Amino acid sequence: MRVQQHPVLTFERGARITFLFDGQPVEAYEGETIVAALHAAGIWKLSESPAKHRPRGLFCAIGHCSSCLMTVDGVPNVRTCVTRARQGMVVVSQQPRGDLG
Amino acid sequence: MKRLDVLVIGGGPAGISAAIAAGKMGLEVVLLEEREFLGGQLVKQTHRFFGSKEEHAGVRGIDIVTELTATLSGMPNVSTWLEATALGLYEDGVVTVLHQGRMHKFLPRSIVAATGAFERFLPFENNDLPGVFGAGAVQTLMNMYGVKPAQKVLMVGSGNIGLIVSYQLIQAGVEVVAVLEAAGNIGGYLVHASKLRRLGVPILTHYTVQKAIGTSEVEGAIAVRLDDRWNPVEGSEILFPCDAICLATGLSPLGEILSQAGCQVKYVPELGGDVPVRDENLQTTRPGVFVAGDLAGIEEATAAMLEGELAGLGAARTVLSQRASPWSEEDLEKRVQDLKQKLSGLRAGPVGEKIRKGLGRLRPAGESGEDVPEIKPSQQDQPPLEELWKTGIPTPSQLQRKLPEEARKQPRPFAVVECFQQIPCDPCVQSCPVGAIAPFSTINDIPQVDFARCTGCGNCIARCPGLAIFVVGYQPEKGKATVSLPYELLPRPEKGQVVEVLDRAGRVAGEGTVLSVLDSPRMDRTAVVKVEVDPELAMEVRMVRCPVENVNAQETQQEHLAQPNEEEWAQDPTLPGDDTIVCRCEDVTLGQIRELIQKGFTTIEEIKHVSRCGMGPCQGKTCSPIIAREIARITGKPLDQVKPAKTRPPFGGILFEEVVRSEEESDGGEAYEA
Amino acid sequence: MKRNASVVIVGGGIVGCCIAYSLAREGIKDVVLLERGTLSGGATGRCGAGVRQQWGTAQNCLLARESMRVFENLPDVLGMDCDIELKQKGYLLLAYSGKEMQQFEKNLQVQHALDIPSRLLTPQEARDIVPMLNIEHLAGAAFCPTDGHANPFLTTLAFADAARNLGVEIHQGVEVRAIQQQNGRVSGVTTDKGSIETPVVINAAGGWSHEIGEMAGLDLPVFSERHEILVTEPVNPILDPMVMSFSYNIYCQQTPHGSFIMGHGPENEPPGHNQESSWQFLESMAKKATWLLPPLAKLRIVRQWAGSYNMSPDRQPIVCASEQLEGFFMAIGFSGHGFMLGPAIGTLMADLVLRRPLTWDVTLDLGRFSRQEIISEPSVV
Repeated sequence: MRVQQHPVLTFERGARITFLFDGQPVEAYEGETIVAALHAAGIWKLSESPAKHRPRGLFCAIGHCSSCLMTVDGVPNVRTCVTRARQGMVVVSQQPRGDLG
Repeated sequence: MKRLDVLVIGGGPAGISAAIAAGKMGLEVVLLEEREFLGGQLVKQTHRFFGSKEEHAGVRGIDIVTELTATLSGMPNVSTWLEATALGLYEDGVVTVLHQGRMHKFLPRSIVAATGAFERFLPFENNDLPGVFGAGAVQTLMNMYGVKPAQKVLMVGSGNIGLIVSYQLIQAGVEVVAVLEAAGNIGGYLVHASKLRRLGVPILTHYTVQKAIGTSEVEGAIAVRLDDRWNPVEGSEILFPCDAICLATGLSPLGEILSQAGCQVKYVPELGGDVPVRDENLQTTRPGVFVAGDLAGIEEATAAMLEGELAGLGAARTVLSQRASPWSEEDLEKRVQDLKQKLSGLRAGPVGEKIRKGLGRLRPAGESGEDVPEIKPSQQDQPPLEELWKTGIPTPSQLQRKLPEEARKQPRPFAVVECFQQIPCDPCVQSCPVGAIAPFSTINDIPQVDFARCTGCGNCIARCPGLAIFVVGYQPEKGKATVSLPYELLPRPEKGQVVEVLDRAGRVAGEGTVLSVLDSPRMDRTAVVKVEVDPELAMEVRMVRCPVENVNAQETQQEHLAQPNEEEWAQDPTLPGDDTIVCRCEDVTLGQIRELIQKGFTTIEEIKHVSRCGMGPCQGKTCSPIIAREIARITGKPLDQVKPAKTRPPFGGILFEEVVRSEEESDGGEAYEA
Repeated sequence: MKRNASVVIVGGGIVGCCIAYSLAREGIKDVVLLERGTLSGGATGRCGAGVRQQWGTAQNCLLARESMRVFENLPDVLGMDCDIELKQKGYLLLAYSGKEMQQFEKNLQVQHALDIPSRLLTPQEARDIVPMLNIEHLAGAAFCPTDGHANPFLTTLAFADAARNLGVEIHQGVEVRAIQQQNGRVSGVTTDKGSIETPVVINAAGGWSHEIGEMAGLDLPVFSERHEILVTEPVNPILDPMVMSFSYNIYCQQTPHGSFIMGHGPENEPPGHNQESSWQFLESMAKKATWLLPPLAKLRIVRQWAGSYNMSPDRQPIVCASEQLEGFFMAIGFSGHGFMLGPAIGTLMADLVLRRPLTWDVTLDLGRFSRQEIISEPSVV
């Protein structure tokens, strides 16, 4: 869900774009991160933990923890919390590791 | 290879200030910032800053960034590289940087590291469920991208971050069910706590989170009371329905690039963890490498800016020793002394005590411990804050001290400055057009109103960064009183509207009629709402509810509060269970760590070798502090003797192809031929 | 800490721990192992941890084969539960010239005589095993499916645990400062935590074995050389064997955990104890790795580090009793392949200490240099 009105901030949102997350189209605004768009769309589970296969969601949002690693346009282990969404991007969640090549 | 004078790593308040300072010396400066914007954490700070005017007091964090970047952009000799990550600082002085899909190499004459901090993770059951967020993540989502992080949030930690983020959540339309504080006192500025309390948010001291409820996402949280030895009290559990748990449990300095480069670090708990050892000019043990900001010790952004300038000047001086300087040595030295004095002034009051102690510990062995002077506020006779520390609500006797004598209470309205804590902040002094708030002799003074001068104009209300000033007026002829209060929520009340009025605990005290809403651009998004109430409510009412959306009354939460039986405090500490996740990257549990420590693996490095804790993408930022505490707890070793794990470049990681592009750049693009 | 020991082993890497285990298994009591830092904290914990039987000399093949037999059956051998993350998916050795292929052919004869199941491959066959392999300029390859690699920390700690179970005292954080002599033989060691009387000292100090030799008054012909290495983020399994090229001086493997570990030999590296990482290595490694295994381009390097190779004149280990100082033994100079030989070296050292004939007919003594019997091993990185 998005904040529509804020007492202090104004959000200058970029153009509407769409990317694919696990095959499903997700709407985003240009300039925002993949995770921000997923979160706004109500998608909280971002990955699965490697040993216990527990669901993992956003935690640090600054590229420090490993909870949001996804395969983006064929590159595994991309930090989607600091990677901006682009039109037509193909984002695939990793369960738990990504595939190379 | 790019040669330059000063390389500043990190574009937060400290880094920008360092770049500006070195830039003013006419040097060739490059400022590196990992994100696509400058400002670091400032860009998420919607509140007004404390401090004094020169250090942007009263200006919102988001707007300080604008001011700083404007200064930067006027400096052609300073270039800013956004989305540029420093990967490592090598033996030969080369700093490798990932920027736009390629590794770059810088060879600076001096360096200012201002890489900031990372958030501490907390061990509790289900702490890895989606919906357990770091406070920084919550701020990023709601303040940068305008995305609601959740519907109902439990905040863990009542330091300034916990309190500020809670308030910001409410501003974004999110309910905060409670703020938990494991210590006996509220950790942050009390004015921030009071702001939350009057919006109905309970603050529970001696409480922490024990468990997150839910299987795929957070559905609730169990909080538990802690006794004086920090052990959970059985039977004191409270269930909070919520869809998110926000961790604001502290920051640790992020100095991996410095420890990798051989700069000596020392564990100083008062400064947040492992901090680089440095001299009074902020130079580390590696000559030419300076530090500033949270990396040098967790502190406020104001201190970061001052330290940034000091470090920037220090870095510039090492270069200028071989070159003509635009400033005379005397002027430079004068500014340096001025900055040092400002820093010690900022750290002078009671809230600076921790920092002073921490800095004392950084002195070389042999020198006395606490040698950072305490500049006492001029007012030494302040009574203890007592209950205010636990509740965020001043006591009647504390309030009494803020009021004029009976004779002055009418006919003119008067300002009630509900500021009880000595914090470094003085915008109220400047705000008063008639000089009724006496100038401070130190920045940590508490404002005193001269009621003979005070006209009750209310200019100060919107200027107080703590939203702690109210104007009360009695109108005996109407049998009414008015209260003017600061208001930073949406929607704004409207003139003539009848609203519920709330007391300092967010309880409905009655009804009132809105007489006016001042919301001019000059007031910079803090409206002043004047509401007419019954005279007996004039000293109670400190908030209006309009409408109810974001305000959730204290009583509803208190129902859950079990009364802890103090005699039944658990004898055996119930520590977080073995299933608790310590390492998010590799899924290592507290139980595995405990087993290894019992087996004799008593350094973080050894535990890393066998468990992979710290080998994951986060490089140990999540797990290391928890493992260190667990080692200390089990072995009885003091925390400062638990050696940190080695840090290895390239920090943040880099794709092979990005490294290859660097090579192509330096050798003319020849492809590798077998 | 014991003040009297029958044997003091200096160094808690794979070699020291294997020796400790072997001595104890032979029934030697009062064995003490001293490690200055932590077990496997030196070269062992920094290495690529490959186990390869494809050597060019019979004795290397033999020792590696014997060691692999131990690694393969470690829980049975040690009589305890342990998982050393052994991945036995082979070693693929790449040849970039006819000359290199001829050498591989010669090596194969040596290996086959010892029942090592190695074989030669065409470039296409090599690619069948490693689909991402760039076979440009590739002349051919040699492959042994039973080669592999393991986790060096877990392996070392398994031997250490087994040794402890047999009564060996292991002390970490204890640094040897001097070696005592009496009447021309070893009488004890002095450490920063006190002294131990012992008639036998075994130098297994890896990168610091020259310094330990000096404490015994010996000028051992070994020196240390920095070798760098890096690791990537984990991805799903895509590379089975360890891939190695002698002519390009490179090795690369994917651990069962998913990360890639790779390194290459240095050029013009001065002798010394420098263990700093360099950006130059990052660049040269990235260039080589992405040329050899192009899909790696999209993989993220997360850590780089360096360790010491303890180099001997013929780049082969020196495992013997000192002829100058009675009671002083050494297992040094492994020149980068100590990990894979560890278990066999343990056995040999037990033979030496017990003064009995060596289990295998190998020549690893120090005297080989004065006898001009330098080992000529063609297959080293």
